[in-house]
Amino acid sequence: MEYLVHIAVLICIYGILGLSLNLAVGQAGLLSVTHAAFYGIGAYVVALLLIAVGLNFFIAVPIAMILAGVVALAVGVVFSRLREVYYVFGTLGFNIIAYSVFLNWDSVTRGPLGIPGIPRPEIFGFRFGENEFFLILATIFLAITYAVCQFVTSSSFGRVLRAIREDEEVTSVFGYATHYHKLAVFVISGMLAAFAGTLFATYITFIDPSSFNLNESIFILAIIILGGLASHRGAILGAFLLIILPEALRFVGFPSDVAAQMRQVTYGLILILLMLYRPQGIWGEFRM
Amino acid sequence: MEIAVQIALNAVIAGALYSLAALGFNLVYNTARFFDLGYGAVAATGAYAVFYFYKTLQFDLLSSIALGILIAGALGFLIEKVVYRQLRARKASQTVLLIASLGVLTVVQAIIAIIFSSQFQTLSRNIGASRIYNVYGGVMTETQVIILCSGLSIMTALGIILRYTLFGKAIKAVADDEEVAQIVGINSERLIGIVFFIGSAIGGIAGIAVGFDTGIQPTMGMTLLLSGVVAAIIGGMGNVYGGVIGAFLLAAIENAGVWYLSGEWKAAIAFAILILFLLFRPQGLFQK
Repeated sequence: MEYLVHIAVLICIYGILGLSLNLAVGQAGLLSVTHAAFYGIGAYVVALLLIAVGLNFFIAVPIAMILAGVVALAVGVVFSRLREVYYVFGTLGFNIIAYSVFLNWDSVTRGPLGIPGIPRPEIFGFRFGENEFFLILATIFLAITYAVCQFVTSSSFGRVLRAIREDEEVTSVFGYATHYHKLAVFVISGMLAAFAGTLFATYITFIDPSSFNLNESIFILAIIILGGLASHRGAILGAFLLIILPEALRFVGFPSDVAAQMRQVTYGLILILLMLYRPQGIWGEFRM
Repeated sequence: MEIAVQIALNAVIAGALYSLAALGFNLVYNTARFFDLGYGAVAATGAYAVFYFYKTLQFDLLSSIALGILIAGALGFLIEKVVYRQLRARKASQTVLLIASLGVLTVVQAIIAIIFSSQFQTLSRNIGASRIYNVYGGVMTETQVIILCSGLSIMTALGIILRYTLFGKAIKAVADDEEVAQIVGINSERLIGIVFFIGSAIGGIAGIAVGFDTGIQPTMGMTLLLSGVVAAIIGGMGNVYGGVIGAFLLAAIENAGVWYLSGEWKAAIAFAILILFLLFRPQGLFQK
């Protein structure tokens, strides 16, 4: 039971990551490979605020999100000028830079040692200590993210994003400031990734840089490509499948380090097979 | 003064490694027209093949290296046949090919880790026994001298082949316009296959060189690939000579930067340069 709860929490966290990345990739067609950077910023900021400053979790979360948003805004200004493959490499580069900051800024992040002992969230004296209670919190966070994503996509703003995805030039001819739209969705997506990061940090209660490297970004990308681009339920389905699958492999009896690698093999293969046979994913509404 | 000489020497050696990586990558990009990330995995495979023959099976050095290069080339050829060719036949976009190649990279990297463990290992049999040369107060190992010489000769050989042989002209024709090239009787599919073989073999050489210089790790392919990509973009994508110059420039900036900061920031420096280039000179130093 404990194990199932653990899996469910992970699905919630990756569901949030998938939903938020899908805003940038699926809605606006920005193939960003840097989601783990914002995820990490959220996790680190919350961890530091809780431990060093002693703030309440629910106050720390908005601060972490705003900080991630500011960073997303700064790099988004740069990235919104890049196109297609160059956008991929620009964002990928930022993930590597962010990872080396997590890894090498010893005085703040404690480098490869990571930050242990992050407290679980607390509100009005109630502590989400048990995993079952944490699952409730994670589900609420997932629901909030879903609602935000639903709101963004069904708004006129979302329609412009989809227009940009289909043809940026035509959209700008119609008078839409495509740069600002791309920038805005990138910031929203980064903030929501930080939202997931705050959950992750307080759930595991320990963070180190290895959770926020490039492979993590690729994993999140695999989630939404599998579930389907531009589809909210697809993002959650993708998170569900990609979390469940490697766990299933573990039951087959692989030793744990091989199981970790099997996870990579599985999602690598999924990427290749999807590109070959179903580039839009399971519920995708858009194909690259 | 001596430090400056040492840094210059390090930059030259790193430059030779990066140019090899950029060379193969550029060659593939030139004909197949997409960013083949699987190239990194192929390079790592070459290094691990040498590890297997040289250290596990105790073959002699030269035949191990020859086998390693052949295996890298063959793997590149195979991946092209099984994955990329099918995708091209489906008129997949550059992004789709990029994602599929990302899948290839993840899968091959993980398989290597499963077979050989993800530990850092050395390729040389007798570490420290290699002769050391003194160059104006700086130090170079024999291995590094060999890497530098073989790197330079491969570059020259490739340059001559591309320029003066019919094969080189055919590559140029396909790079220019595949359809027209087919009309004048070039079997472009076969040509792309050969190019993948040669490009991957060069990647394998780069991987093997890194292996002898420092050591091997399943993730080395990714690192090498990223250096190669950054070098290629700095030099101008598809421009073989530009890639070489970009590689030496990247190595020089990286090593100078490491002097001021420290070794851990190398990757961050490389990607900061990449992002600057993407912003201000996306076509690279030498436009094709």
